[in-house]
Amino acid sequence: MSTQPGIEKQRVKVKHKVARRNNIEGWILMLPMVIVLYLMIWRPTVMGAIWSTFRMKGYTPHEFIGLRNYIEVVKDTQFLPTLWNTVMYVFWSLVVGYLPPVILAIMINEMVHFKNGFKIVLYLPQIVPGVAALLMWYYIYYPDSSGLLNFFLAKFGIDPYIWLNDGRFTILYIVISMTWSGFAGTMVLYYAAVQSISSELYEAAIIDGAGMLKRVRYVTIPQLSGVLLLTFVRQIISVFQVVEQPLVMTGGGPNGASTSLGYQLYKYGFVNGRAGHAMALGVIIFFILITLTVLYMRLNKKVEENY
Amino acid sequence: MNRFSTKQAGIISPSDLKTMKGKIAYWSVFAFLLFTCIFTLFPAIWVLLSGFKDSQEIYSGFSLFPRDMSLEHMMTCIVDSWKTLELGRSMINTVIMSMGSLCLTLIVCGIGGYVLSKMKPRGTNFVLQLVLWTMMMPGQLRTVPLYISWLSFPFVANFPFEVSLINTYWPIWLSSAANAFEVLLFKHYFDSIPMSYVEAAKLDGCGNLSIFFRIMMPLSKPIVIYVSIMSLTYAWSNFFIPYLVLQDKELQITPVRIYLLGQSSEIKMNVRFMGIIFASVVPFLIFAFFQKHIIGGVSIGGVKG
Repeated sequence: MSTQPGIEKQRVKVKHKVARRNNIEGWILMLPMVIVLYLMIWRPTVMGAIWSTFRMKGYTPHEFIGLRNYIEVVKDTQFLPTLWNTVMYVFWSLVVGYLPPVILAIMINEMVHFKNGFKIVLYLPQIVPGVAALLMWYYIYYPDSSGLLNFFLAKFGIDPYIWLNDGRFTILYIVISMTWSGFAGTMVLYYAAVQSISSELYEAAIIDGAGMLKRVRYVTIPQLSGVLLLTFVRQIISVFQVVEQPLVMTGGGPNGASTSLGYQLYKYGFVNGRAGHAMALGVIIFFILITLTVLYMRLNKKVEENY
Repeated sequence: MNRFSTKQAGIISPSDLKTMKGKIAYWSVFAFLLFTCIFTLFPAIWVLLSGFKDSQEIYSGFSLFPRDMSLEHMMTCIVDSWKTLELGRSMINTVIMSMGSLCLTLIVCGIGGYVLSKMKPRGTNFVLQLVLWTMMMPGQLRTVPLYISWLSFPFVANFPFEVSLINTYWPIWLSSAANAFEVLLFKHYFDSIPMSYVEAAKLDGCGNLSIFFRIMMPLSKPIVIYVSIMSLTYAWSNFFIPYLVLQDKELQITPVRIYLLGQSSEIKMNVRFMGIIFASVVPFLIFAFFQKHIIGGVSIGGVKG
């Protein structure tokens, strides 16, 4: 009996030792992940915020100048138009691209013929690599008679139209190409949600005498409302960061009509050699997006609570 | 028509399909989908066909189809464009780049997920929170500071050793490994594997690394396949970072190469179209092989952090 406390003590000791070894080994194994996340995400984010208050000589921070970079970025005559352009990207992408994925997902789910075929064919645009798709659309919109759209106009005897060079609608045209390459991913997401709507709900609606349109209105849409809301916010966040599209298709033109904040940042940072301005603009974009992201997280929590 | 019997109650229900109105609704939806498919595919088909036209044909624009559709002509078109575009080197580069990204992502994110799910050392919750927040970080602020750090890795100045990562694949590999979303995917999947597997393996004298490679990875095939497909297809459409980092022509990857070729005026129109096709071939092959996993895999991807 007298040895009992000793054994107990030893057991606790061994347990502690095992736990400590587990801790050390765990951290060693986790280290690559932590280092990579630190070097690639956390550190550049913090450094970007710090260096945005410095005057940069090439890519080396030179002297602290407070908020002067920010003032210069905001005072730039192009700043407000660019911000407006970015909002227009988001606006048009919601007008053009928000509904098609849901509608198509719902429709495909109703089919008993070629269901998989439709899914596969409609997914194909998603597979075309980003730049290839952008170049493709660049040629579709080509302003002389070799472009696909002008080819059709010519068939109807209409003169070639300048498409992307028409500054009033450049953003709309770019958004159409973005929608083409991106809708399938969202569609598949919706499809999973549509599929999980229980058919009992529909049966109940039928017994209550609801017609097809009423079934959409009172069963399908309410069941999808969570996903619809989340996709809405997610789309805003992702389109707000558009860079590659103006870079590849228009170079921000004509006359800056399709320059987005992201593309402006790229130009500051890598074309005009004004890294400080790029980072100041980065911080501004960061705050806009983090606000939207927090909103997204809040909605996400609410949506998850409801289901 | 017999297929209608397999239809479940939905917006269009089996009882509707017996009425005229229901049939019309069903077939008009069908027609709409068919039309959308054609409409969606049309641009891609146009590019494919234009690749086989000569540039004069492209400009005169009388017909959608190339004049000469013989196999011989098509082969010469393909071979000629391949020679002018010199895509061979960039294709190999893209394979190297995508394989590196894939291996690094699987190892770094996978082991990270394993530690967070099964070992849970002290501070796990804190790291998990950080990883979650990492996923939410907007990316654009990072581009310039990252570029600066790649110029003289790992720190800007006054460090005992510094290496320029420009003109290496490391920036691309490292940034694809820094993927918080995939860490969480792995963690959630590993959570569903019972702890008893790990304990049994430990009793048999397995270390944590061999548990990860010999037990966890084989048991998590769906997620490994999903992450592999995602990072491979991403590598083939990755543009921005490679465009900034790989300035040496010998290291260029396919998407960047066809973008730069599109800007030079010496390349003929049909060759440019061919370039677009060449750049899409490998992603299409990946899709053809893993079609089920890609379209069905979203339920895994839909796991929320």
